[in-house]
Amino acid sequence: MADVRMTGVRKVFGSTVALSDFTLEIQSGELICLLGPSGCGKTTALRILAGFEKPDAGTVEVGGEDITTVPTPKRGFGMVFQEYSLFPNMTGRANVDFALKLRKAGATERKETVDRLLAITGLTEHADKFPHQMSGGQRQRVALARALASQPRLLLLDEPLSALDAQVRDSLREEIRRVQREVGVTTLFVTHDQHEALAIADRVGVMSQGVLEQLDPPRALYESPATAFVAGFVGTVNRIPSERVDGGWRVLNRVVPGRPASEGASLAVVRPEQLAVDLDPEGGGSVRETTFLGPLTRAIVERDGQTLIVDVLTSEFPTLSAGAPVRVRLRDDVDDVLLIEGRAAANGPATG
Amino acid sequence: MRRRFDTATLVVAVPFLAFVGLFLFVPTIGLAVKAFTPGGTLGLSAMQRALEGSYRTAFVNSISLSLTSALIGGVIGLLVALSLHSLSRPRWLRSTVDSWFAVAAQLGGIPLAFAFIAALGTQGIITKVLGLAGVSVTESGFSLSEFWGLVLVYLYFQIPLMFLVMMPAVGGLRQTWSEAASIMGASSARYWRSVALPLLIPAFLGGLLLLFVNAFAAYATAYVLNPGAQIVPLQIRFLLQGNVITGEQDLAYAIVLWTITLLLASLILVALLQRRTAKWASA
Amino acid sequence: MRVLRNIFLAAVALYFLVPLLAMARFAFQSVPVVLLTPDKLLQGWSISGLLDVFANPEFQKAAITSLQLMVLSILVTLVLLLPVAALVEIRAPRMRTLMAGITLLPWVVPPIALVVGVAATFRNTVPWFLASPYSLVPFYVLWALPFSYRALDAGLRAIGARTLYEAARVMGASTFTIIVRVLVPNMVGAIIAASVLTAALVLGEFAFAALLLKETLPTFMAEFQRSEPRAGMALALAVMLLTAFIIWIGVRVLRRRGMELQAAGV
Repeated sequence: MADVRMTGVRKVFGSTVALSDFTLEIQSGELICLLGPSGCGKTTALRILAGFEKPDAGTVEVGGEDITTVPTPKRGFGMVFQEYSLFPNMTGRANVDFALKLRKAGATERKETVDRLLAITGLTEHADKFPHQMSGGQRQRVALARALASQPRLLLLDEPLSALDAQVRDSLREEIRRVQREVGVTTLFVTHDQHEALAIADRVGVMSQGVLEQLDPPRALYESPATAFVAGFVGTVNRIPSERVDGGWRVLNRVVPGRPASEGASLAVVRPEQLAVDLDPEGGGSVRETTFLGPLTRAIVERDGQTLIVDVLTSEFPTLSAGAPVRVRLRDDVDDVLLIEGRAAANGPATG
Repeated sequence: MRRRFDTATLVVAVPFLAFVGLFLFVPTIGLAVKAFTPGGTLGLSAMQRALEGSYRTAFVNSISLSLTSALIGGVIGLLVALSLHSLSRPRWLRSTVDSWFAVAAQLGGIPLAFAFIAALGTQGIITKVLGLAGVSVTESGFSLSEFWGLVLVYLYFQIPLMFLVMMPAVGGLRQTWSEAASIMGASSARYWRSVALPLLIPAFLGGLLLLFVNAFAAYATAYVLNPGAQIVPLQIRFLLQGNVITGEQDLAYAIVLWTITLLLASLILVALLQRRTAKWASA
Repeated sequence: MRVLRNIFLAAVALYFLVPLLAMARFAFQSVPVVLLTPDKLLQGWSISGLLDVFANPEFQKAAITSLQLMVLSILVTLVLLLPVAALVEIRAPRMRTLMAGITLLPWVVPPIALVVGVAATFRNTVPWFLASPYSLVPFYVLWALPFSYRALDAGLRAIGARTLYEAARVMGASTFTIIVRVLVPNMVGAIIAASVLTAALVLGEFAFAALLLKETLPTFMAEFQRSEPRAGMALALAVMLLTAFIIWIGVRVLRRRGMELQAAGV
């Protein structure tokens, strides 16, 4: 049974449709990430769940109970905001304690819970500082402890890491995942950072223009994007012209079964690591430049007037450099390819 | 390389400090010396007399007038700031009030007193309108030259002043704080009591001080409304202009010295209170 | 809740508008309140009172004195204060607390207090100094300090004066050049704010000028109203509107730069 269920939710701001017929189910104890560019509606979905916004249509249920019109304080959720959500007039400890006071917990229980949560989030020694004396990472740890203090039936995380330095972000991300598993709380995590989403979530929902495009475990999402938008938004892709033949689609050197996303689809969506190169003067391709990424080397290859991005093992091609003649092929283990409409190109967000 | 003062700073700082010294410290110290040497000999008689009889009354009146107008003006100013903060439409309202209050906060003095005389004086139009409605302003005991009359007029610059002080603090209340409180299960009242008001208190205290000092020093408005009012600024004028009798001037020095002491003490008191209530803001 | 708030705001608006309207009626309608009846509401309106004042030679003298004091006070404020504020910000930030303290002091010595001290010291030692109306200038600069200094300081911080200074310094500019060519053009908003606040103070200050027997706009106004109530009221309204206009200009200029006209805070 789904623990959280948003059904047919619609929200319009002025002339902007923030969410249209949005449906999402979260299983008990699951961590779901909503991923998408800014303005895609992911934050609106979260704010409707929190009760900060009223949906124009649709229902929100938690644990089988319809809470669409229940006011925020009565929903029993916890939330971590992007930044600056700690009450500046209270120490870290007092911030966490405030949540317990609101539940009218006894003094002993409060102290025990606060100490336990501060320990879980690794904050024990900074607990008596005021928010402005803490680092961004410490503040978000307190915010997490505070959100968990009232034993919420749903934890909402609204881009909790996006204001932090890269290093802190990575370690806190792991920590959120660990704590979430430890506590076992159902969680909705909203982010625009695909690496974050893929690394932390049980399932990732990719959103675009108020619509949930695909909701799948990270690996499935990456390997079998359902739509052109998901393919382009998550990871780097090549769009390679291919043709329909008996038994599937011809992509470069191979014929594979394809999944056309629409009627006129003829571009194969292929990840850089799904391609391989062989050094071959007759191969028809030429390396334009290479970027060293550690274990991988990313090669930009010109072939038939098209640019392809290929990731190769650095150990296999230690000296691959600009000007090298190559043949590009689809790796043998690729057996599923999405086909979309549009212009041939290699693109995607730069890997960070 | 790290010198405490460098030449350029000294070159501009010295004239500035000399300016403040000459026009502020020299006269202040001069009158302090005279206050403690009444009639040319060292003694506390002037300082003592300055707190006796009608002068004591003047201090009591001035303090209660300043406190009353500061508290009422402060609360109303804060409420206006809060009302406007929660009001996003119509958009012109916010900027109109902002601009008008920036103006009104500076509109003390002679013209303001005239405006209230035209409205609520014995020949005032509101007095007349109220009279037609059966309410006699004079018989009710209200008069612009009495305590509550002065308070009413002073509010005209006190309310805007508090508004200007509180607006940045009120604007600094983040929406995420009320949202965070609300999702934790706090009612709106609880959020105000535990989070918003504690955050506003330091600015409010600073504002109260500003209003208190402002009202205590106000001269022109009271002078027009009631030149004989028993308040400190008018007593000082009285002593300074009726300077025929020797010894009266020493009294003026003493009263002024007490005034400065009082204002300085309230400044320090408020600074201490602010430090206590704003522990969270300083390191 | 919403209704209460709207009633409250309306009451506040009424409180601030009514005295001004009453003032305008008194100044421009030549019907005494006693004789005013609903059918006479539209009779006898004219601005002759105000024109009479403008033609009054004594008024002209007082107005010119006040305008001169205003311009001089602004000039002295900027020349004296801007370099100090700038250098404290960019070269000696540790002195900031000290400066904030010093510039707050004029607050605890209001005009009515300082005039006694001035009488006690200057009148005996340098009587010639108090003879000229220009002797008011340093004191007006002084009382404007808590406001003008804070305006300039806020401006310096808003433009990141330290970074600008260091950047210009690396390019080889002298401190003087940096202040005049880099900082000043960037802080027009703050300079206007400081000037506007000083101007408003000069146009309104009464106690000091009155007790030193100087004929400025406020002292003329107080005197004139006794003999000519209607014209006096018109003049007071005009001065009020002028002050309002000056400050409003300042507010507008600041808002366009995303700043607010600040009250001196502790």
